[in-house]
Amino acid sequence: MTQEPEIETKDLSFYYAGNVHALKRINVDIGKNLVTAFIGPSGCGKTTLLRCFNRMHDLYPSNRYEGQIIFQGRNILESNLDLIRLRSSIGMVFQKPTPFPMTIHDNIAYGLKLKGLRKKAELSDRVEKALTDSALWGEVKDKLHESAYALSGGQQQRLCIARALAVEPEVLLFDEPTSALDPISTGKIEELISQLKDRVSIIIVTHNMQQAARVSDMTAFLYLGEIIEYGPTKKIFTNPDNKQTDDYITGRFG
Amino acid sequence: MAVPQKKDPLDRLFMIVTATAAISVIVILTGIFVVLLSESSLAISRFGFFRFLASTDWNPVTESFGAATAVFGTIVTTLIALLIAVPTAVGIAVFVTEIAPDFLKGPIGIAIELLAAIPSIIYGMWGLFTLAPLMAQHVEPFLQRTFGDLPIVGALFQGTPMGIDIFSASVILSIMIIPFTASIARDSFNLTPAVVKESAYGIGATKWEVVKSVVLPYSKLGVFGGVVLSLGRALGETMAVAFVLGNNHVITASLFDAASTITVTLANEFTEADSDIYLSSLFYLALVLFLLSFIILAIAKFVLLRAEKRYSR
Amino acid sequence: MTREQKRKIENIAALSLSSLAAAFGLFWLVFILGDVLVHGIGALTPELFLNDPAPPGIEGGGLRHAFLGQIMITFFATLIGVPVGVLGGTYLAEYARGTKLARVIGILADIMVSVPSIVIGTFIYALLVRPLGHFSGWAGSVALAVIMIPVVLRTTEDMLSLVPWTLREAAFALGAPHYKVIVQVVYRGAATGILTGVLLSIARVAGETAPLLFTSFNNNFFSTDMNGPMASLTVAVFQYAMGPFEEWHAQAWAASLIITLFILTVTIAGRAIVRWRYKS
Repeated sequence: MTQEPEIETKDLSFYYAGNVHALKRINVDIGKNLVTAFIGPSGCGKTTLLRCFNRMHDLYPSNRYEGQIIFQGRNILESNLDLIRLRSSIGMVFQKPTPFPMTIHDNIAYGLKLKGLRKKAELSDRVEKALTDSALWGEVKDKLHESAYALSGGQQQRLCIARALAVEPEVLLFDEPTSALDPISTGKIEELISQLKDRVSIIIVTHNMQQAARVSDMTAFLYLGEIIEYGPTKKIFTNPDNKQTDDYITGRFG
Repeated sequence: MAVPQKKDPLDRLFMIVTATAAISVIVILTGIFVVLLSESSLAISRFGFFRFLASTDWNPVTESFGAATAVFGTIVTTLIALLIAVPTAVGIAVFVTEIAPDFLKGPIGIAIELLAAIPSIIYGMWGLFTLAPLMAQHVEPFLQRTFGDLPIVGALFQGTPMGIDIFSASVILSIMIIPFTASIARDSFNLTPAVVKESAYGIGATKWEVVKSVVLPYSKLGVFGGVVLSLGRALGETMAVAFVLGNNHVITASLFDAASTITVTLANEFTEADSDIYLSSLFYLALVLFLLSFIILAIAKFVLLRAEKRYSR
Repeated sequence: MTREQKRKIENIAALSLSSLAAAFGLFWLVFILGDVLVHGIGALTPELFLNDPAPPGIEGGGLRHAFLGQIMITFFATLIGVPVGVLGGTYLAEYARGTKLARVIGILADIMVSVPSIVIGTFIYALLVRPLGHFSGWAGSVALAVIMIPVVLRTTEDMLSLVPWTLREAAFALGAPHYKVIVQVVYRGAATGILTGVLLSIARVAGETAPLLFTSFNNNFFSTDMNGPMASLTVAVFQYAMGPFEEWHAQAWAASLIITLFILTVTIAGRAIVRWRYKS
């Protein structure tokens, strides 16, 4: 990794309301056009860390950050930051599919309209492109104006990926994106993630370690709010430096 | 991205608009209190507070007004209605939650709630044309023959049964609040954890014993809250009683006498009040009713919230 | 008698009493509905809907003026009450969720739902009738709107709370400002529920009589003037039922039947929608 990192955290700490210290002095560089996986046992802070990158925690009162997250040369934890802009640069896909109660077309067009895109023709081009990119176009091109709820779970999740992609973010955050899906849908999403990294940097939280090994280039192992070990995925899964990492990997992996 | 974004001032505006709408609840409630208080200030200064409540005089001619007869009617009809409604409602709740086969639970639940949806004016109509004659011709003479000669209790059943009286009004009121109380009792019963009931059945308790020793103790706070809520409702009910109570400002021992309540007085006299002090006294009555029901509803809400908290643990 | 037998008998007795109570409750429902139907259906004639009242004692009068008044008063009440209720519920569920203010307003709204409707009538009388010197349809609409607001507010709040948080987060994650998240995503998710709440609140106020007595008052003539006193079905029922003429009584029954049918239909429809929408 000789390139500039896409995102860099400096002594990032995070407290939930009531002073629960959920992340402790995290220092991690997220590489450009790489897939970075966060793994670790439940409650280790991996989702908490992920949700710092698009300031999702700001939706709830009394949460507190310390330290810095540098993205595009700027500390995104600054209080005067335009969250709306941040979130259109750093997209997110959630654990369960979250289609909006609208048609398939409108789901994708939603983010574009938010950014001020109004022309019908351009909108449908962008919708088609996003759906093609998320390998969904062939399956839905004849029912763009039907409700998104009519899709299967796996299709809904790819729709959500398409929706996130449509606004052309620099980074995509995946929060256990396949934990609610069947193996075949999971396979399709993983394939998609591998294809997408040419265009966006990806951070994925998963507690399926095979998945982390399959899709990621870099892996960070978190435990009790700290990064225990961070390195190339291959190394983490075959020859970790840290004993805790080793225990976790071998206890759950293979 | 190509299109730049600014922080949206509309977001702030929308929040302010919604906040204003939400706060309107506080404004209206406060407004009701303040307006009623100022409208009744004339009567308050003339009759005082305790004197107004204690005086049985309601005389537009001499312009002497007291709330005692109306308060008496309100409380008596409400209490008798509760006396009939609460056991019935609890029985219905037991039936719906514990006894009825599954295919009956839904329809009976709906039927009870439909009963609650019927507007009070329909109850009033029906009371005037159907219930009151039935009462006058059959029910009340029967009660009079049976209980009229008993010492003490007999006083409740004196006079000529006309059907337009405290008894009929209370019965209609009770029919009105039964569904209301029953649905709250049912909801409270349903909060009893299944495992607790199962463990009681597990040691060989009968269905009634499970209800008596597990379900009722478990839900008593909720049921009590429901009863208080119904009390609040009954106090403020107008149309169901306006048809069958007469509008007679007396305090009477007999259930077969016409009487008046705060609501009935307002409904009958408000638009006819021809002097300032008369109208102000009516506003004063409305104020008394508002405070009475506000306090009772607040207590009910408090009890129900505590019940909820207890179960959710 | 053994202890076992005693327990069994007690059990059967108690359960029978409960069943009896349920039968008692149902008995009244059937009795009242049946009675309204039997009495009302005979007076349901075209004239009832098409004619205005005839002078007492003369055949062929109707309640056209009261139908129209009822519809206008209820319509404008809905127009005032629903937006305030929906927006207020939105504030509680979205911006103020979990705060003390939201809890206090929620409790006050619950109390307001049960404030005696006749008290609201006197309040609006002091506010809109006496200062202007005359009864008016508007005053009636406002009185009904005041009754609707807490009902709509609470159902809106509940329905918005049922919309999963992840859906909002997904919209936020795309960079949507909060009001767009609410209007374009959350409202759509809760639309059926809110609509049901609105329907039920209309059912609730359509049968109200007491708050209209001193606000829209009554009018024996056909009038579309919301600035003047206006007839309504419910007040007409009260007036006609208490009046001395057979013809009036028959029309009061017919009007009662229509009010009842309308309210029960709306209530059942509302419940059916909820069941259909939230079953899965």
